[in-house]
Amino acid sequence: MTTPAVELHGVGKRYWKIHERSLLRSLVPFGPPNRTELWALRDANLLVEPGETLGIIGRNGAGKSTMLRLLAGVTRPTTGKVVTRGRIAPLLSVGVGFHQEMTGRENIYVNGMLLGFSKARITRIFDDIVDFAQLGDFIDTPVKFYSSGMYMRLGFSVAIHSEPDVLLVDEVLAVGDVGFRLRSFDRMRAMQRSGAALVFVSHWLQAVQVLCPRTVCMHQGRIAFDGPTEGAIARHHELLSTDDGRVADDRATAVRVLRRELMDADGLPVGTVRQDDVLTYRVDLRFEEAVQSPQVLFQVIAEDSTLTYQMQTALGDQWRTFSAGEESSIVVRFQPRFGGGGTFRAAVVVTNIDSSITLLHDEQGPAFFVEPRRGVVGVCDLQARIAVDNEDRTDQRSLRFGDEAAAVEGV
Amino acid sequence: MSAPVDSEGRRSRSSAVPVLQLDSGPESFRVWVGGLWRNRNLLYALAQQDFRSRYKRAAFGVLWSIALPLFQSAVMVFIFSRVGRFGSGLGYSYAAFVLAGMVPWLYLSTSIASSTTSIVDASGLTDKVFFPRAVLPLVAPAANLVMLAISTLILLVALPIVGEPLTARFLLIVPAVVLLCTFTAAVGLALSALYVYFRDVKFMVQAVLLVWLYVTPVVYPPSALKSAGPWLDFNPLTGIVGLFQRAAVDAPVPSTRSLVVSVVATALLAVVAVVAHRRHDRLFVDLL
Repeated sequence: MTTPAVELHGVGKRYWKIHERSLLRSLVPFGPPNRTELWALRDANLLVEPGETLGIIGRNGAGKSTMLRLLAGVTRPTTGKVVTRGRIAPLLSVGVGFHQEMTGRENIYVNGMLLGFSKARITRIFDDIVDFAQLGDFIDTPVKFYSSGMYMRLGFSVAIHSEPDVLLVDEVLAVGDVGFRLRSFDRMRAMQRSGAALVFVSHWLQAVQVLCPRTVCMHQGRIAFDGPTEGAIARHHELLSTDDGRVADDRATAVRVLRRELMDADGLPVGTVRQDDVLTYRVDLRFEEAVQSPQVLFQVIAEDSTLTYQMQTALGDQWRTFSAGEESSIVVRFQPRFGGGGTFRAAVVVTNIDSSITLLHDEQGPAFFVEPRRGVVGVCDLQARIAVDNEDRTDQRSLRFGDEAAAVEGV
Repeated sequence: MSAPVDSEGRRSRSSAVPVLQLDSGPESFRVWVGGLWRNRNLLYALAQQDFRSRYKRAAFGVLWSIALPLFQSAVMVFIFSRVGRFGSGLGYSYAAFVLAGMVPWLYLSTSIASSTTSIVDASGLTDKVFFPRAVLPLVAPAANLVMLAISTLILLVALPIVGEPLTARFLLIVPAVVLLCTFTAAVGLALSALYVYFRDVKFMVQAVLLVWLYVTPVVYPPSALKSAGPWLDFNPLTGIVGLFQRAAVDAPVPSTRSLVVSVVATALLAVVAVVAHRRHDRLFVDLL
């Protein structure tokens, strides 16, 4: 039995939302209350063992950053107790603590000291940091001339060379080129093997899935799930879709959505789907005005709001006029072949005949989680097969991080 | 530092691993001071960065840190010897007197202005990584030490030029500098903590600095105010500035009362600042 690297016991964090921050207002003892309380985290219990990698997922405002702040020790809990053993290194977001006018070299020293190293120690690991960040001659250039990738690489490199006992990773890895990302994953794995704990907070579910065997799903300041990553992602997804009951913001009122439904081949509602599943997205509509031959666009939007897929009905096709008050439905059948998987959302757009007027833009469709295909990273599945020595070697690798061969190595 | 790594690349975890336990109460005084002491290198690095970057893109660089106090003193001397007629009948060089007073004043005013907002200004950093926040308000007083040293040197060079002999009196500059720096650091620490909670403080500081210069005997000797003169003793800066002036020229020794006020004010402010920082160290970030 090892001693946990991180322990949270009944941790809660209350913030005060202060309406008016002025000396005058705070000295006046009467009047309406000037602040409302907000529990960003409530009753959180968590143990992270040395060498363990923990993912933290959840919507914005679910308490992820508060958790990270508590682990980094920048703030203290309102209730409960946070215990961390060993050196904690937060992976600073792009360029935090970097001074624009100073060179990369100067910034490495300051940044290293912020993480608690001595000057002598930084000098010792200086070359490793620069090598890993691949900055070359740019090391003596003021960082304001760096590209965002160089910026990120430098910051990451400093943090990762601090040999922390607990490394806190926030979103940052989403930046940077694939090569650097892979080397970072490698490096994190090496740290993990040497006994460091890693806490990975991200919206990027694919990365969480690759890196973390165990994941915590946060919801409204509480730990909603703590266990195997698939479970956490399923729970996250479930929470995403239950919150979708909100009424659509209907700026365009010509067409109204009555009902949306995402079903599998058997007509049952789905949340998590496989790439080969045939899905049906059905939207029931009501035309509030008469519309002549409307055009329909079906879209699939990724979690980071990028449009990953769009398909539209034949342009300019004159078929019929819908009268005001008429109800109809749009039914889309599709296969979610999103190679690397992820969470997506179905959307429907209805326009007039020449697409000059948008009558409905409905992005409130249900979110669904597509399981990644083994060995695939990327947005689409090109159905590639890899043969080596004339022998098909596809689908040989596992996605689980920490297994004999991790998928990231082969990307 | 990091735990040693054995041949299998496994970290041997000894009891030497630092354990951080956080609950709703502040850490002990000893732990807080220890943390601040361990971060002295960070203070040095940040001060160095502050100083270097300040003049980096100016063609004349560090020369500005010399030119500005000289220029401001010259303006003061010109205006107040013509308008205020303070310069006559002193028995020593009025220009040297003003320059000696401007040296501590410029150090104090430039340091405090940046110290006050330091914690809030660094919110991007304080949100991610922990180090004692007290480091931040100390950066400006530390970085400005260079400016203080240079302007003291100028004073030293200027004295013989304006006809003031250098005597052993000039050694008074040592206690004067120590008192000035401690006072400035204490004020900066206290204000930086206050500013996190009350953003009005920034403007109050600006307003106070505007007035402070004129209620401190920098451009006039305390005797010039006749009966109101003794009241100046309750301004903690009077004693400090008096020491600088006494070091430079044959001005009267600052009154005992003004020196006591300076020392007591410094001590009180330091206590308040330390208590505030220890109690709120990990809570500032919640309000940024």
